[in-house]
Amino acid sequence: MTEIRVDQFLPHPPEAVWRALTDPELIVKWWAAADGLVPVVGHRFELDMNRWGRQKCTVLEVDEPRVLAYTFGEGVIDTVLRWTIEAEGSGSRLFLEHSGFDPDSELGAVALKGMGSGWPHVLTRIAAALAPAT
Amino acid sequence: MSTDPFAALANPVRRQILDALRGGPRPVGEIVDMFRLSRPAVSEHLRVLRAAELIAEQRRGRQRLYYLTPTPLAGVEEWLHPFERYWRGRLRDLADFLAEQTDAQKGDQR
Repeated sequence: MTEIRVDQFLPHPPEAVWRALTDPELIVKWWAAADGLVPVVGHRFELDMNRWGRQKCTVLEVDEPRVLAYTFGEGVIDTVLRWTIEAEGSGSRLFLEHSGFDPDSELGAVALKGMGSGWPHVLTRIAAALAPAT
Repeated sequence: MSTDPFAALANPVRRQILDALRGGPRPVGEIVDMFRLSRPAVSEHLRVLRAAELIAEQRRGRQRLYYLTPTPLAGVEEWLHPFERYWRGRLRDLADFLAEQTDAQKGDQR
């Protein structure tokens, strides 16, 4: 397993959840500044993860108000976030899949081959990404 | 208090601590000696790493040892666990935010 899956019931209609996931003015109130996010495939934006820095993202999939997927941490951890909203009773269930912990990447290789070194491999990549450009 | 693995990994001192623990558990004194930092400053970094569940503490006699969690031989699920916790936290924040928003709208209608 190389992905993380979590889900949450929300007593709100899918459209309300969709807005909270796609409107930068709302996203910043519960997660991070998502400057320039427009739910259009191919659109590029940045998520400000505070001390972890600004993460480059590209929209991969849009099916309003059901599916939103974008790359997460381009050049750092190179993963994908996929949000899925399903109507459930009087509200919605929101699924999040954080995938693409790629078996071919350093992180994936380490993760899948017995964790010889583990986190430090991730750290090396993050450190490289955070290092000031010369 | 931060339990955010992204933030925990963003700091170079904390990355060096994790790197040093690759070789096995180390006593706190040895970790402090690695840096030109005060003991409380290093302790604060250790606290952040513990809160993110990237390291854990073990007492052995009079010594306090720190070690990587999960261990170097753990499965990938365990390595992703801090991130899973992070996302569960964000989904809870989203639920709280939507609830507040709904309350505010009801307030407006009164």
